[in-house]
Amino acid sequence: MGTNVFDSTNQQSEISNSIMNNGSDPLIRLNSVTKVFLTDEVETHALSGIHLDIRPGEYVSIAGPSGCGKTTLLSILGLLDTPSDGSYSLKGHEVANLSFADRARIRNREIGFIFQSFNLIGDLSVFENVELPLTYRGMAASERKSFVTGALERVGMAHRAKHLPSQLSGGQQQRVAVARALAGRPAILLADEPTGNLDSRNGEAVMQLLKELHQNGATICMVTHDERFAQHADRTVHLFDGRVVEDRIAA
Amino acid sequence: MNDLRFALRQLRKSPGFTFLALLTLAVGIGMNTAIFSLIQDLFLRGLPFSEPERVVRIYGESKERDLKQMPSSVPKFWHYRDGQTVFSSIAADWGNGFIMTGSGEPIQLLGGNVTANYFELLGIHPILGRNFLPEEESKGDVVMVTENFWRKRFASDPTILGHNITLNGVPTTIIGVLPNLPISWFGRDSEIFVNKPFEPSGITKDRLMRGVSFMRVTARLKPGVSVSQAQAAMPALLQSYKEQHPETADNTWSPYLVSAAEDVTGDLRPAFLTLLAAVSAVLLIACSNVANLLLVRFTGRKREIALRMALGAERRGIVRLFVFESTLVSVIAGMIGLGLALWTVSVVPKLAGQNIPLESGVKLQLPVLIFTLGLSLITGLLMGLYPAWQSSRADLVDGLKEGGRGTSGSRGQHRFRRGLVAGQVGLSVVLLAGAGMLVSSFVRLSRQEPGFRSERVWAGGIGLPPAQYPDPATRGRFAERLQTELQTAPGVEAAAIADAVPLSGNSSRSPYARADGNPVPVNQRQLGLTRSVSPGYFRTLGISLLSGRDFTEQDKVDSRLVVILSNSTAKKLFPNENPIGHQILFGTDNGNGLPAEVIGVVGDVRSQQLSKANDVEFYRPWPQRSAPFLNVVVRSATKPEATAGIVRAALNKIDNGLPILQPSTLDAIVTQSLGQERLTMTLLGVFAGIALLLAVVGIYGAVAYTVEQRTGEIGVRMALGAQTHDVLNLVVRQGMNPVILGLIFGLAGTFAVGRLLAAQLYQISPYDPLLLGATAIVLAVAALLACLIPARRATLVDPIQALRSE
Repeated sequence: MGTNVFDSTNQQSEISNSIMNNGSDPLIRLNSVTKVFLTDEVETHALSGIHLDIRPGEYVSIAGPSGCGKTTLLSILGLLDTPSDGSYSLKGHEVANLSFADRARIRNREIGFIFQSFNLIGDLSVFENVELPLTYRGMAASERKSFVTGALERVGMAHRAKHLPSQLSGGQQQRVAVARALAGRPAILLADEPTGNLDSRNGEAVMQLLKELHQNGATICMVTHDERFAQHADRTVHLFDGRVVEDRIAA
Repeated sequence: MNDLRFALRQLRKSPGFTFLALLTLAVGIGMNTAIFSLIQDLFLRGLPFSEPERVVRIYGESKERDLKQMPSSVPKFWHYRDGQTVFSSIAADWGNGFIMTGSGEPIQLLGGNVTANYFELLGIHPILGRNFLPEEESKGDVVMVTENFWRKRFASDPTILGHNITLNGVPTTIIGVLPNLPISWFGRDSEIFVNKPFEPSGITKDRLMRGVSFMRVTARLKPGVSVSQAQAAMPALLQSYKEQHPETADNTWSPYLVSAAEDVTGDLRPAFLTLLAAVSAVLLIACSNVANLLLVRFTGRKREIALRMALGAERRGIVRLFVFESTLVSVIAGMIGLGLALWTVSVVPKLAGQNIPLESGVKLQLPVLIFTLGLSLITGLLMGLYPAWQSSRADLVDGLKEGGRGTSGSRGQHRFRRGLVAGQVGLSVVLLAGAGMLVSSFVRLSRQEPGFRSERVWAGGIGLPPAQYPDPATRGRFAERLQTELQTAPGVEAAAIADAVPLSGNSSRSPYARADGNPVPVNQRQLGLTRSVSPGYFRTLGISLLSGRDFTEQDKVDSRLVVILSNSTAKKLFPNENPIGHQILFGTDNGNGLPAEVIGVVGDVRSQQLSKANDVEFYRPWPQRSAPFLNVVVRSATKPEATAGIVRAALNKIDNGLPILQPSTLDAIVTQSLGQERLTMTLLGVFAGIALLLAVVGIYGAVAYTVEQRTGEIGVRMALGAQTHDVLNLVVRQGMNPVILGLIFGLAGTFAVGRLLAAQLYQISPYDPLLLGATAIVLAVAALLACLIPARRATLVDPIQALRSE
């Protein structure tokens, strides 16, 4: 994880090239990141002066009560959103104010998303769902096949490759979603309440899967409000009212 | 009643849907109603005769000589009348013009000469007075007028009967007032009917009895006798005619019967079949659009459905409720469509010109109302049933849980939507291709070189009353004087006289044969289009003289008979020979026709139809072949009204009692001759345009709806790194898939219906690859644009919002 896996492609921009060629220091560094939502008359400060470093191989959980800014923070980390102020460097390069296309390219290559509601595409098979981000990368079909098969094997879902999501249980769907996040060998996995839509047994299984991935070197940043699952991480960052109120490394 | 109130409330709640659905369906139903109304008027209503299905026309034909719809001669009519056993009565008529004098300005009136039993045969009874009496066929000058004439010219005077009016210089007594007559049978503006059907002026008794054919024969079948039974009796009748009248020119033409209805509409059937098919396709497309909207609308009401079912409603009841709603929409749209149809029908006669016998004035007839209502109900059922049935398959638990949020629908619904789009595109391709072909054909037809120059030529008719102009000599002198007056009038470049103007629909034909060798008997000779023209006719119309000379004032009634040939005629009759100096036999005089010497050859003229070259056309000098009616053609630099004034002034110097009939320009006559083609092309073009618009709206609606339903998925794809072009690709590809399928079906369909159109096309193949390719491209581009708008919107999806909504 986190190594440059795209040297063979020539479609990436200068910025994403340079990001991918730098493997030292914090993988992610947020400095005084602020996010303000402007509505008609009200300014809502979702994040206020967030400082956060995530190093390669770390398993960080972001916890906090509802409305504390967890999801906003994850959106900024995932380059789905941009901060109102502050800086965000990924692999030592500033990414806060990149263009839409550059952000999409970095998301595709460096970030793997795992969503609470799995967000598998119903009309695509398990294989096609996992293949999707690789398709956007312009990867050759043979290479895609090998990446997808590898990812499905890692989550134990290779045997269901031809099934549609609707033919799988919730737990299986989330495993497929994890495989999709893994398939492109991103620098970091961002998981947004990955157990939120699962029963406790399936939830536990997914957490176990993430743990195994982490043990194999994956960098994971997970948002959860469930204290039990937060404890799976090495480090827990507590947010309250858009601020980091505690940053604790597990004993 | 509750259902009605609820349905109305639902429609009020979504004005956007209601407006779009009503507009779409109103256009579809309105166009169908308009065409049905025209079909009802032309084909279904039937002629306003008593038992019109028993009325037939009897024509003659000679397949080997390519003669069709030949009228009857006087001896033939008499023979039929006296010898037949299958008709309860048989009558004849011929069109005629009359000059009415004695009440201010002389007026030219149209009408005809009829046998005494003519109106009785048709079952038309006078609203005032009486019908003609049999003895009035040969003596007594009596006239029947129409209601229009009576109201307009006699201010509905109840004492009109017995009044004398002067027609063609002869005092004539009004004996009856006829109800207004259908123009499809009697022609436009027919007001006057006189007796004496067997005494056409300008034709000698000898020629009459040699078989000059000018009478339209109408018969009423005996009760229980079918058209085919009557047809079977005709050959024996012809045989006995041939035996008793071996000298007549028309004794070899086989008689054939045509029902009255077919006689007046036969030529129009293909065009109206095409239009009917086109409007049906428009309605299907409109239905597809609204069915799509309904599917979205009903699917979005899952919670309502679940709630109703939770409260005990049966699925049947839900389906009924939704179908009721869709039917309500279609019935309201039908009412709007009816208004649209009335307007359309009022415009059509103007588009059609003189070529389609449509009654003027918009009338709402009961069958049209029933048709619209029936069509609206069927439309409502058709488009509402599947969406209602699909939507009623709600999962109670899910439906209630979702809180009424719209869902994307099942795979079946997706397939249904894609199928609708493909169907719409397919139908639109057929319509667009058809319209393209007709437009293309019309353009070629409009550009067809007619062989004469129509610009700046004025034309008008003049009737010569037989009382004052009884013979060729007087008619010849009149024409010569008029032409002299006109040629010296200021502004006039050239002027001439002719019995008929090209493309006006009037023409006459004579039996002909080369005089040398052994000409076949008169009754086996070909009939050739023959025009009587004055010197200067060719110059006035810009027809080129290819060899020989034009007529001169020396070609008089009593001088050597001469003829000028069209180029095609010269080539046909005198291949590899110089025709000048040769002789051609014309007519039936002396039992063998009279020889006329060829003095010139002129360029070919498309005088009958722009779409068809005449293989034979003869020109005879007016004095040698005159009629009691002539046309004046004047080429001048002045405006048509001014030219009419010049002609009027010239005419006044000779005879101020002669009105000018139907003054026009040759340009207008040429344009008018394409009236039916223009009507079909315009209507089909409008229908195709509407179809294209509806299809594009349908594609847009389907794609926009898909995008809306797939916002979450698009958000996921963007989160996974999809670029703008990836999203555009995704939406456009999925939107265009059914379009491409529709294009393939549509092109196949176009091939299938090509045969229907082929007969209506001029110099263009219904399988023209360029045209079909262009049609497919136009539709594909329109569809692509329809996909691009929602696709562009899809690229603006905010992945955070999209994922949150998931």
